[in-house]
Amino acid sequence: MSRLRTWVSLVALELWLPLLLVVIWWFASENSTSVYFPPLRVILQSFAENWLVPERALANLGPSLQVIGLGYGVALLGGIAIGTLLGLVRPFERAVRPIVEALRAIPGVALLPLFIVLFGIDQPMRILLVAYGAAWPVLLNTLDGVRAVEPTLLDMARIFRVGRARRLFQIILRSAGPQIFAGARISLAITLIIMVVSETVGASGGVGYFLMTAKSEFRISSMWSAIVALGILGYLLNILFRIAERYVLRWHRLQQARLEKAS
Amino acid sequence: MTAPAVEETTASIAARSVTPKPARLRWILIQVAAVVLAGVVWSLASLAFPSSTLPPPTAVFARLGELALTPGFWSAVGITIATFAIALVICIVVGVPVGLAIGASTVATQSTRLLFDFLRTIPPIAILPLLLLVLGAEMEMVLVLAVGGAIWPILIQSIYAARQGEALLVEMAKSYRIPKAWFIRHIFVPGAIPFVMTGLRLGTTICLLLTISGELLGSAPGVGYEIANAQAFYDNTRMYAYVIVSAVLGLIVNGGFWALQRRLLRWHPSVRGEARS
Repeated sequence: MSRLRTWVSLVALELWLPLLLVVIWWFASENSTSVYFPPLRVILQSFAENWLVPERALANLGPSLQVIGLGYGVALLGGIAIGTLLGLVRPFERAVRPIVEALRAIPGVALLPLFIVLFGIDQPMRILLVAYGAAWPVLLNTLDGVRAVEPTLLDMARIFRVGRARRLFQIILRSAGPQIFAGARISLAITLIIMVVSETVGASGGVGYFLMTAKSEFRISSMWSAIVALGILGYLLNILFRIAERYVLRWHRLQQARLEKAS
Repeated sequence: MTAPAVEETTASIAARSVTPKPARLRWILIQVAAVVLAGVVWSLASLAFPSSTLPPPTAVFARLGELALTPGFWSAVGITIATFAIALVICIVVGVPVGLAIGASTVATQSTRLLFDFLRTIPPIAILPLLLLVLGAEMEMVLVLAVGGAIWPILIQSIYAARQGEALLVEMAKSYRIPKAWFIRHIFVPGAIPFVMTGLRLGTTICLLLTISGELLGSAPGVGYEIANAQAFYDNTRMYAYVIVSAVLGLIVNGGFWALQRRLLRWHPSVRGEARS
Protein backbone atom coordinates (compact mmCIF):
# COMPACT_ATOMS: atom_id res chain seq x y z
CA MET A 1 0.00 0.00 0.00
CA SER A 2 2.69 2.45 1.00
CA ARG A 3 4.73 1.30 -1.96
CA LEU A 4 1.83 2.16 -4.23
CA ARG A 5 1.57 5.55 -2.60
CA THR A 6 5.26 6.34 -3.09
CA TRP A 7 4.94 5.18 -6.70
CA VAL A 8 1.95 7.45 -7.28
CA SER A 9 3.67 10.44 -5.71
CA LEU A 10 6.78 9.80 -7.81
CA VAL A 11 4.75 9.73 -11.02
CA ALA A 12 2.89 12.86 -9.93
CA LEU A 13 6.20 14.57 -9.25
CA GLU A 14 7.48 13.72 -12.72
CA LEU A 15 4.26 14.69 -14.49
CA TRP A 16 3.13 17.95 -12.92
CA LEU A 17 5.54 20.27 -14.71
CA PRO A 18 5.08 18.94 -18.27
CA LEU A 19 1.30 18.94 -17.80
CA LEU A 20 1.35 22.45 -16.36
CA LEU A 21 3.36 23.71 -19.33
CA VAL A 22 0.94 22.13 -21.81
CA VAL A 23 -1.99 23.73 -19.97
CA ILE A 24 -0.24 27.10 -19.96
CA TRP A 25 0.52 26.73 -23.66
CA TRP A 26 -3.13 25.83 -24.33
CA PHE A 27 -4.58 28.86 -22.56
CA ALA A 28 -1.86 31.34 -23.51
CA SER A 29 -2.22 30.50 -27.19
CA GLU A 30 -6.01 30.14 -27.21
CA ASN A 31 -6.66 33.68 -28.39
CA SER A 32 -3.41 33.98 -30.28
CA THR A 33 -3.71 35.91 -33.51
CA SER A 34 -0.01 35.57 -34.33
CA VAL A 35 0.51 33.88 -37.66
CA TYR A 36 3.45 31.85 -36.41
CA PHE A 37 2.04 30.73 -33.09
CA PRO A 38 -1.45 29.36 -33.66
CA PRO A 39 -3.59 28.14 -30.73
CA LEU A 40 -2.60 24.71 -29.44
CA ARG A 41 -6.16 23.55 -30.18
CA VAL A 42 -5.64 24.21 -33.89
CA ILE A 43 -2.25 22.48 -33.84
CA LEU A 44 -3.73 19.38 -32.24
CA GLN A 45 -6.57 19.37 -34.78
CA SER A 46 -4.04 19.49 -37.57
CA PHE A 47 -2.03 16.78 -35.83
CA ALA A 48 -5.07 14.52 -35.73
CA GLU A 49 -5.76 15.13 -39.42
CA ASN A 50 -2.23 14.57 -40.65
CA TRP A 51 -0.75 12.02 -38.30
CA LEU A 52 -3.58 9.99 -36.85
CA VAL A 53 -5.56 9.10 -40.00
CA PRO A 54 -3.97 5.79 -41.11
CA GLU A 55 -3.41 6.43 -44.80
CA ARG A 56 -2.05 9.95 -44.32
CA ALA A 57 0.12 8.87 -41.43
CA LEU A 58 1.49 6.11 -43.63
CA ALA A 59 2.34 8.52 -46.45
CA ASN A 60 3.94 10.97 -44.04
CA LEU A 61 5.76 8.53 -41.81
CA GLY A 62 6.41 5.49 -44.01
CA PRO A 63 9.39 6.81 -45.99
CA SER A 64 10.93 8.32 -42.85
CA LEU A 65 10.65 5.08 -40.93
CA GLN A 66 12.25 3.26 -43.85
CA VAL A 67 15.18 5.68 -43.84
CA ILE A 68 15.54 5.41 -40.05
CA GLY A 69 15.25 1.62 -39.96
CA LEU A 70 17.56 0.80 -42.83
CA GLY A 71 19.97 3.69 -42.34
CA TYR A 72 20.34 3.19 -38.60
CA GLY A 73 20.58 -0.58 -39.08
CA VAL A 74 23.40 -0.26 -41.60
CA ALA A 75 25.09 2.33 -39.38
CA LEU A 76 25.01 -0.04 -36.40
CA LEU A 77 26.24 -3.10 -38.30
CA GLY A 78 28.89 -1.19 -40.23
CA GLY A 79 30.03 0.80 -37.20
CA ILE A 80 30.36 -2.27 -35.01
CA ALA A 81 32.09 -4.31 -37.73
CA ILE A 82 34.63 -1.65 -38.70
CA GLY A 83 35.09 -0.53 -35.11
CA THR A 84 35.85 -4.11 -34.03
CA LEU A 85 38.27 -4.55 -36.91
CA LEU A 86 40.10 -1.34 -36.05
CA GLY A 87 40.08 -2.18 -32.35
CA LEU A 88 41.57 -5.63 -32.86
CA VAL A 89 44.13 -4.86 -35.57
CA ARG A 90 46.04 -2.16 -33.78
CA PRO A 91 48.77 -1.38 -36.35
CA PHE A 92 46.11 -0.94 -39.03
CA GLU A 93 44.12 1.38 -36.78
CA ARG A 94 47.18 3.48 -36.14
CA ALA A 95 48.04 3.69 -39.82
CA VAL A 96 44.60 4.92 -40.88
CA ARG A 97 43.99 7.10 -37.81
CA PRO A 98 44.45 10.42 -39.66
CA ILE A 99 41.96 9.32 -42.32
CA VAL A 100 39.42 8.21 -39.71
CA GLU A 101 39.82 11.47 -37.79
CA ALA A 102 39.36 13.53 -40.96
CA LEU A 103 36.33 11.61 -42.16
CA ARG A 104 34.55 11.66 -38.84
CA ALA A 105 35.12 15.38 -38.51
CA ILE A 106 32.90 16.09 -41.52
CA PRO A 107 29.42 16.98 -40.27
CA GLY A 108 27.16 14.36 -41.91
CA VAL A 109 24.78 16.98 -43.25
CA ALA A 110 27.57 18.69 -45.21
CA LEU A 111 27.76 15.57 -47.34
CA LEU A 112 24.16 15.83 -48.52
CA PRO A 113 25.07 17.54 -51.81
CA LEU A 114 27.85 15.01 -52.41
CA PHE A 115 25.52 12.08 -51.82
CA ILE A 116 22.98 13.62 -54.18
CA VAL A 117 25.66 13.82 -56.87
CA LEU A 118 26.75 10.24 -56.28
CA PHE A 119 23.52 8.43 -55.51
CA GLY A 120 20.68 10.54 -56.88
CA ILE A 121 17.80 12.04 -54.94
CA ASP A 122 15.81 8.95 -54.07
CA GLN A 123 15.43 6.82 -51.00
CA PRO A 124 18.79 4.95 -51.32
CA MET A 125 20.68 8.25 -51.10
CA ARG A 126 18.90 9.10 -47.83
CA ILE A 127 19.52 5.67 -46.36
CA LEU A 128 23.22 5.82 -47.26
CA LEU A 129 23.64 9.33 -45.87
CA VAL A 130 22.03 8.35 -42.57
CA ALA A 131 24.13 5.18 -42.48
CA TYR A 132 27.32 7.13 -43.09
CA GLY A 133 26.65 9.98 -40.69
CA ALA A 134 25.27 7.86 -37.87
CA ALA A 135 27.97 5.18 -38.07
CA TRP A 136 30.72 7.31 -36.52
CA PRO A 137 29.68 7.38 -32.86
CA VAL A 138 29.07 3.61 -32.92
CA LEU A 139 32.35 2.98 -34.73
CA LEU A 140 34.46 5.08 -32.36
CA ASN A 141 32.83 3.70 -29.23
CA THR A 142 33.14 0.12 -30.47
CA LEU A 143 36.80 0.80 -31.16
CA ASP A 144 37.34 2.09 -27.62
CA GLY A 145 35.22 -0.64 -26.06
CA VAL A 146 36.95 -3.47 -27.90
CA ARG A 147 40.30 -2.09 -26.89
CA ALA A 148 39.36 -1.88 -23.24
CA VAL A 149 38.39 -5.53 -22.89
CA GLU A 150 39.81 -6.99 -19.71
CA PRO A 151 43.09 -8.67 -20.80
CA THR A 152 42.74 -11.40 -18.17
CA LEU A 153 39.46 -12.43 -19.80
CA LEU A 154 41.18 -12.83 -23.15
CA ASP A 155 44.09 -14.72 -21.60
CA MET A 156 41.70 -17.01 -19.85
CA ALA A 157 39.78 -17.62 -23.06
CA ARG A 158 43.06 -18.53 -24.71
CA ILE A 159 44.01 -20.92 -21.94
CA PHE A 160 40.68 -22.67 -22.22
CA ARG A 161 41.03 -22.71 -26.01
CA VAL A 162 37.81 -20.86 -26.64
CA GLY A 163 37.21 -20.68 -30.39
CA ARG A 164 37.73 -17.48 -32.35
CA ALA A 165 34.06 -16.84 -33.09
CA ARG A 166 33.02 -17.39 -29.50
CA ARG A 167 35.86 -15.22 -28.30
CA LEU A 168 34.71 -12.42 -30.57
CA PHE A 169 30.98 -12.56 -29.86
CA GLN A 170 30.86 -13.77 -26.29
CA ILE A 171 33.85 -12.04 -24.79
CA ILE A 172 35.02 -9.08 -26.85
CA LEU A 173 31.74 -7.70 -28.16
CA ARG A 174 29.94 -8.56 -24.96
CA SER A 175 32.24 -6.65 -22.70
CA ALA A 176 32.35 -3.76 -25.17
CA GLY A 177 28.52 -3.75 -25.10
CA PRO A 178 27.88 -0.90 -22.66
CA GLN A 179 30.15 1.42 -24.59
CA ILE A 180 28.71 0.34 -27.96
CA PHE A 181 25.27 1.23 -26.63
CA ALA A 182 26.50 4.62 -25.43
CA GLY A 183 27.61 5.30 -29.01
CA ALA A 184 24.42 3.89 -30.50
CA ARG A 185 22.38 6.33 -28.44
CA ILE A 186 24.24 9.29 -29.93
CA SER A 187 23.86 7.72 -33.37
CA LEU A 188 20.11 7.61 -32.93
CA ALA A 189 19.92 11.35 -32.35
CA ILE A 190 22.10 11.97 -35.41
CA THR A 191 19.96 9.58 -37.47
CA LEU A 192 16.89 11.71 -36.82
CA ILE A 193 18.64 14.96 -37.75
CA ILE A 194 20.09 13.60 -41.00
CA MET A 195 16.79 11.91 -41.87
CA VAL A 196 14.89 15.20 -41.68
CA VAL A 197 17.58 17.12 -43.55
CA SER A 198 17.85 14.56 -46.35
CA GLU A 199 14.09 14.52 -46.84
CA THR A 200 14.00 18.20 -47.62
CA VAL A 201 15.58 17.45 -51.02
CA GLY A 202 13.77 15.61 -53.77
CA ALA A 203 11.50 13.62 -51.49
CA SER A 204 7.83 13.02 -52.20
CA GLY A 205 6.91 11.94 -48.69
CA GLY A 206 8.28 11.70 -45.19
CA VAL A 207 8.36 13.96 -42.16
CA GLY A 208 11.08 16.25 -43.49
CA TYR A 209 9.24 16.71 -46.77
CA PHE A 210 5.99 17.43 -44.97
CA LEU A 211 7.70 19.92 -42.68
CA MET A 212 9.34 21.89 -45.49
CA THR A 213 6.32 21.93 -47.83
CA ALA A 214 4.07 23.03 -44.98
CA LYS A 215 6.51 25.85 -44.31
CA SER A 216 6.82 26.97 -47.92
CA GLU A 217 3.05 26.79 -48.45
CA PHE A 218 2.60 28.72 -45.23
CA ARG A 219 0.41 26.09 -43.60
CA ILE A 220 1.67 27.01 -40.15
CA SER A 221 -0.53 24.71 -38.07
CA SER A 222 0.49 21.75 -40.26
CA MET A 223 4.10 22.71 -39.73
CA TRP A 224 3.56 22.77 -35.98
CA SER A 225 1.87 19.39 -36.16
CA ALA A 226 4.98 17.99 -37.85
CA ILE A 227 7.15 19.39 -35.04
CA VAL A 228 4.89 17.67 -32.50
CA ALA A 229 5.02 14.45 -34.54
CA LEU A 230 8.81 14.56 -34.70
CA GLY A 231 8.99 15.10 -30.94
CA ILE A 232 6.77 12.09 -30.31
CA LEU A 233 8.70 10.00 -32.84
CA GLY A 234 12.00 10.89 -31.20
CA TYR A 235 10.64 10.09 -27.76
CA LEU A 236 9.20 6.72 -28.84
CA LEU A 237 12.43 5.72 -30.58
CA ASN A 238 14.33 6.53 -27.40
CA ILE A 239 11.99 4.36 -25.34
CA LEU A 240 12.49 1.50 -27.83
CA PHE A 241 16.21 2.04 -27.55
CA ARG A 242 16.09 1.89 -23.78
CA ILE A 243 14.13 -1.37 -23.87
CA ALA A 244 16.64 -2.90 -26.28
CA GLU A 245 19.52 -1.71 -24.12
CA ARG A 246 17.99 -3.20 -20.98
CA TYR A 247 17.46 -6.50 -22.73
CA VAL A 248 20.88 -6.81 -24.33
CA LEU A 249 22.83 -5.48 -21.37
CA ARG A 250 20.93 -7.26 -18.64
CA TRP A 251 24.11 -9.17 -17.70
CA HIS A 252 25.76 -5.81 -17.11
CA ARG A 253 23.01 -4.65 -14.80
CA LEU A 254 23.04 -7.91 -12.88
CA GLN A 255 26.77 -7.69 -12.45
CA GLN A 256 26.59 -4.10 -11.23
CA ALA A 257 23.87 -5.02 -8.75
CA ARG A 258 26.00 -7.90 -7.50
CA LEU A 259 29.01 -5.65 -7.12
CA GLU A 260 26.96 -3.13 -5.19
CA LYS A 261 25.68 -5.81 -2.88
CA ALA A 262 29.17 -7.12 -2.31
CA SER A 263 30.64 -3.76 -1.41
CA MET B 1 47.53 -8.70 -29.39
CA THR B 2 46.46 -9.55 -25.88
CA ALA B 3 49.67 -9.27 -23.88
CA PRO B 4 50.53 -5.59 -24.47
CA ALA B 5 46.90 -4.53 -24.12
CA VAL B 6 47.30 -3.40 -20.52
CA GLU B 7 50.09 -0.94 -21.11
CA GLU B 8 48.58 0.12 -24.39
CA THR B 9 45.17 0.99 -23.01
CA THR B 10 46.36 2.89 -20.00
CA ALA B 11 48.81 4.76 -22.14
CA SER B 12 46.62 5.26 -25.16
CA ILE B 13 45.88 8.90 -24.35
CA ALA B 14 49.46 9.75 -23.62
CA ALA B 15 50.69 7.43 -26.37
CA ARG B 16 51.91 10.22 -28.59
CA SER B 17 54.16 11.72 -25.95
CA VAL B 18 55.35 8.41 -24.53
CA THR B 19 56.33 6.61 -27.74
CA PRO B 20 60.08 6.87 -28.32
CA LYS B 21 61.17 9.21 -31.09
CA PRO B 22 62.28 6.83 -33.90
CA ALA B 23 59.15 4.67 -33.63
CA ARG B 24 57.05 7.82 -33.64
CA LEU B 25 58.67 9.05 -36.84
CA ARG B 26 58.07 5.69 -38.48
CA TRP B 27 54.41 5.82 -37.54
CA ILE B 28 54.07 9.31 -38.94
CA LEU B 29 55.56 8.07 -42.21
CA ILE B 30 53.15 5.14 -42.29
CA GLN B 31 50.24 7.49 -41.60
CA VAL B 32 51.34 9.86 -44.34
CA ALA B 33 51.59 6.88 -46.69
CA ALA B 34 48.03 5.86 -45.77
CA VAL B 35 46.76 9.37 -46.49
CA VAL B 36 48.60 9.43 -49.82
CA LEU B 37 47.14 6.04 -50.65
CA ALA B 38 43.65 7.36 -49.90
CA GLY B 39 44.36 10.28 -52.22
CA VAL B 40 45.43 7.87 -54.97
CA VAL B 41 42.23 5.87 -54.51
CA TRP B 42 40.23 9.10 -54.76
CA SER B 43 42.11 10.08 -57.96
CA LEU B 44 41.47 6.67 -59.51
CA ALA B 45 37.81 6.85 -58.52
CA SER B 46 37.51 10.28 -60.11
CA LEU B 47 38.62 8.76 -63.43
CA ALA B 48 35.56 6.52 -63.38
CA PHE B 49 33.16 9.47 -63.07
CA PRO B 50 32.79 12.50 -65.32
CA SER B 51 35.16 15.10 -63.90
CA SER B 52 32.30 17.40 -62.97
CA THR B 53 30.79 14.71 -60.72
CA LEU B 54 33.87 13.64 -58.81
CA PRO B 55 36.84 15.92 -59.43
CA PRO B 56 40.31 14.59 -58.48
CA PRO B 57 41.79 15.74 -55.15
CA THR B 58 44.37 17.92 -56.88
CA ALA B 59 41.62 19.97 -58.52
CA VAL B 60 39.71 20.29 -55.27
CA PHE B 61 42.72 21.43 -53.25
CA ALA B 62 43.79 23.82 -56.02
CA ARG B 63 40.31 25.29 -55.89
CA LEU B 64 40.47 25.50 -52.13
CA GLY B 65 43.70 27.45 -52.51
CA GLU B 66 42.06 29.88 -54.92
CA LEU B 67 39.05 30.31 -52.66
CA ALA B 68 41.28 30.98 -49.67
CA LEU B 69 42.47 34.13 -51.43
CA THR B 70 38.95 35.57 -51.67
CA PRO B 71 37.42 37.61 -48.83
CA GLY B 72 34.07 35.83 -49.27
CA PHE B 73 35.68 32.57 -48.19
CA TRP B 74 36.99 34.02 -44.95
CA SER B 75 33.76 35.78 -44.11
CA ALA B 76 31.86 32.48 -44.55
CA VAL B 77 34.36 30.62 -42.38
CA GLY B 78 34.35 33.44 -39.83
CA ILE B 79 30.57 33.50 -39.56
CA THR B 80 30.38 29.74 -39.10
CA ILE B 81 33.06 29.77 -36.40
CA ALA B 82 31.45 32.75 -34.66
CA THR B 83 27.99 31.16 -34.73
CA PHE B 84 29.34 27.89 -33.40
CA ALA B 85 31.40 29.56 -30.67
CA ILE B 86 28.66 31.91 -29.48
CA ALA B 87 26.12 29.06 -29.43
CA LEU B 88 28.47 26.88 -27.41
CA VAL B 89 29.21 29.66 -24.93
CA ILE B 90 25.47 30.30 -24.47
CA CYS B 91 24.91 26.59 -23.89
CA ILE B 92 27.64 26.47 -21.25
CA VAL B 93 26.72 29.72 -19.51
CA VAL B 94 23.05 28.75 -19.32
CA GLY B 95 23.23 24.95 -19.21
CA VAL B 96 25.85 24.38 -16.52
CA PRO B 97 24.51 26.68 -13.76
CA VAL B 98 20.87 25.77 -14.42
CA GLY B 99 21.76 22.09 -14.49
CA LEU B 100 23.73 22.31 -11.24
CA ALA B 101 20.91 24.24 -9.57
CA ILE B 102 18.30 21.71 -10.65
CA GLY B 103 20.53 18.81 -9.70
CA ALA B 104 21.04 20.21 -6.22
CA SER B 105 17.36 19.67 -5.44
CA THR B 106 15.75 16.24 -5.64
CA VAL B 107 12.29 17.71 -6.19
CA ALA B 108 13.50 19.89 -9.05
CA THR B 109 15.35 16.97 -10.63
CA GLN B 110 12.33 14.69 -10.57
CA SER B 111 9.94 17.41 -11.70
CA THR B 112 12.00 18.25 -14.75
CA ARG B 113 13.13 14.73 -15.67
CA LEU B 114 10.27 13.83 -18.00
CA LEU B 115 10.16 17.31 -19.52
CA PHE B 116 13.87 17.35 -20.37
CA ASP B 117 13.72 13.75 -21.53
CA PHE B 118 11.06 14.72 -24.02
CA LEU B 119 12.63 18.00 -25.16
CA ARG B 120 16.00 16.31 -25.56
CA THR B 121 14.66 13.70 -27.98
CA ILE B 122 12.95 16.19 -30.31
CA PRO B 123 15.25 16.40 -33.33
CA PRO B 124 16.31 20.07 -33.12
CA ILE B 125 16.13 20.37 -36.88
CA ALA B 126 12.32 20.09 -36.53
CA ILE B 127 12.08 23.69 -35.39
CA LEU B 128 14.18 24.99 -38.31
CA PRO B 129 11.16 25.97 -40.49
CA LEU B 130 9.60 27.85 -37.59
CA LEU B 131 12.87 29.67 -36.88
CA LEU B 132 13.20 30.50 -40.58
CA LEU B 133 9.77 32.10 -40.61
CA VAL B 134 10.24 34.04 -37.39
CA LEU B 135 13.90 35.04 -37.64
CA GLY B 136 14.66 34.75 -41.36
CA ALA B 137 17.79 33.35 -43.03
CA GLU B 138 20.14 35.06 -40.62
CA MET B 139 22.92 34.12 -38.29
CA GLU B 140 20.57 34.52 -35.29
CA MET B 141 18.35 31.78 -36.68
CA VAL B 142 21.29 29.35 -36.86
CA LEU B 143 22.37 30.43 -33.40
CA VAL B 144 18.98 29.60 -31.85
CA LEU B 145 18.92 26.27 -33.69
CA ALA B 146 22.40 25.30 -32.46
CA VAL B 147 21.65 26.33 -28.87
CA GLY B 148 18.30 24.52 -28.98
CA GLY B 149 20.03 21.28 -29.90
CA ALA B 150 23.31 21.45 -28.05
CA ILE B 151 22.10 22.67 -24.67
CA TRP B 152 20.41 19.39 -23.64
CA PRO B 153 23.42 17.13 -23.18
CA ILE B 154 25.21 19.92 -21.28
CA LEU B 155 22.20 20.66 -19.08
CA ILE B 156 21.43 17.00 -18.34
CA GLN B 157 25.05 16.09 -17.59
CA SER B 158 25.25 19.09 -15.25
CA ILE B 159 22.22 17.76 -13.38
CA TYR B 160 24.04 14.44 -13.00
CA ALA B 161 27.15 16.31 -11.95
CA ALA B 162 25.36 18.01 -9.07
CA ARG B 163 23.78 14.74 -8.01
CA GLN B 164 27.01 12.76 -7.92
CA GLY B 165 27.98 14.39 -4.60
CA GLU B 166 28.70 11.08 -2.90
CA ALA B 167 26.99 10.85 0.45
CA LEU B 168 30.17 9.48 1.97
CA LEU B 169 32.20 12.52 0.92
CA VAL B 170 29.55 14.93 2.14
CA GLU B 171 29.32 13.17 5.50
CA MET B 172 33.06 13.11 5.85
CA ALA B 173 33.36 16.79 5.03
CA LYS B 174 30.74 17.46 7.69
CA SER B 175 32.36 15.43 10.40
CA TYR B 176 35.75 16.97 9.73
CA ARG B 177 34.13 20.41 9.60
CA ILE B 178 35.66 21.15 6.26
CA PRO B 179 34.79 24.73 5.23
CA LYS B 180 32.20 24.98 2.48
CA ALA B 181 34.44 26.89 0.07
CA TRP B 182 37.21 24.37 0.44
CA PHE B 183 34.74 21.52 -0.08
CA ILE B 184 33.42 23.07 -3.28
CA ARG B 185 36.87 23.85 -4.64
CA HIS B 186 38.59 20.56 -3.83
CA ILE B 187 35.84 17.94 -3.69
CA PHE B 188 32.72 19.09 -5.50
CA VAL B 189 34.21 20.72 -8.60
CA PRO B 190 36.73 17.97 -9.40
CA GLY B 191 33.93 15.43 -9.00
CA ALA B 192 31.57 17.37 -11.24
CA ILE B 193 33.96 18.21 -14.08
CA PRO B 194 34.05 14.74 -15.70
CA PHE B 195 30.25 14.73 -15.95
CA VAL B 196 30.11 18.22 -17.40
CA MET B 197 32.88 17.35 -19.86
CA THR B 198 30.90 14.40 -21.20
CA GLY B 199 27.95 16.66 -21.86
CA LEU B 200 30.21 19.27 -23.35
CA ARG B 201 31.73 16.83 -25.80
CA LEU B 202 28.32 15.72 -27.05
CA GLY B 203 27.12 19.31 -27.11
CA THR B 204 30.12 20.43 -29.14
CA THR B 205 29.56 17.81 -31.85
CA ILE B 206 25.84 18.54 -32.09
CA CYS B 207 26.48 22.28 -32.07
CA LEU B 208 28.77 22.14 -35.11
CA LEU B 209 26.46 19.72 -36.93
CA LEU B 210 23.50 22.04 -36.38
CA THR B 211 25.40 25.19 -37.28
CA ILE B 212 26.30 23.75 -40.66
CA SER B 213 22.84 22.18 -41.11
CA GLY B 214 21.11 25.44 -40.35
CA GLU B 215 23.25 27.31 -42.86
CA LEU B 216 22.86 24.63 -45.50
CA LEU B 217 19.10 24.26 -45.22
CA GLY B 218 18.19 27.74 -44.15
CA SER B 219 20.47 29.57 -46.61
CA ALA B 220 21.94 31.56 -43.76
CA PRO B 221 25.46 32.86 -44.43
CA GLY B 222 28.36 30.52 -43.61
CA VAL B 223 30.15 27.41 -44.80
CA GLY B 224 26.91 25.41 -44.98
CA TYR B 225 25.39 27.95 -47.32
CA GLU B 226 28.50 27.91 -49.53
CA ILE B 227 28.16 24.13 -49.90
CA ALA B 228 24.50 24.41 -50.89
CA ASN B 229 25.21 27.34 -53.19
CA ALA B 230 28.05 25.53 -55.01
CA GLN B 231 25.81 22.55 -55.49
CA ALA B 232 23.00 24.71 -56.86
CA PHE B 233 25.43 25.95 -59.53
CA TYR B 234 26.63 22.39 -60.22
CA ASP B 235 30.10 23.57 -59.25
CA ASN B 236 31.16 20.35 -57.58
CA THR B 237 34.82 21.26 -57.22
CA ARG B 238 33.87 24.28 -55.14
CA MET B 239 31.39 22.17 -53.20
CA TYR B 240 34.06 19.60 -52.27
CA ALA B 241 36.43 22.39 -51.31
CA TYR B 242 33.88 23.67 -48.79
CA VAL B 243 33.15 20.16 -47.53
CA ILE B 244 36.88 19.92 -46.78
CA VAL B 245 36.64 23.23 -44.95
CA SER B 246 33.83 21.83 -42.79
CA ALA B 247 35.99 18.77 -42.07
CA VAL B 248 38.87 21.00 -41.00
CA LEU B 249 36.52 22.90 -38.70
CA GLY B 250 35.45 19.57 -37.21
CA LEU B 251 39.08 18.54 -36.75
CA ILE B 252 39.93 21.78 -34.99
CA VAL B 253 36.94 21.45 -32.69
CA ASN B 254 37.74 17.82 -31.84
CA GLY B 255 41.40 18.55 -31.32
CA GLY B 256 40.66 21.56 -29.13
CA PHE B 257 38.31 19.48 -27.08
CA TRP B 258 40.84 16.73 -26.48
CA ALA B 259 43.46 19.26 -25.45
CA LEU B 260 41.03 20.83 -22.98
CA GLN B 261 39.97 17.46 -21.63
CA ARG B 262 43.54 16.35 -21.09
CA ARG B 263 44.31 19.55 -19.22
CA LEU B 264 41.26 19.45 -16.99
CA LEU B 265 41.13 15.73 -16.39
CA ARG B 266 44.77 14.73 -16.23
CA TRP B 267 44.16 13.14 -12.87
CA HIS B 268 41.01 11.28 -13.81
CA PRO B 269 41.44 7.54 -14.45
CA SER B 270 38.33 7.16 -16.60
CA VAL B 271 39.23 9.82 -19.15
CA ARG B 272 39.07 7.13 -21.76
CA GLY B 273 35.99 5.23 -20.72
CA GLU B 274 33.27 7.57 -21.87
CA ALA B 275 31.07 7.82 -24.90
CA ARG B 276 32.74 9.39 -27.88
CA SER B 277 30.78 11.23 -30.48
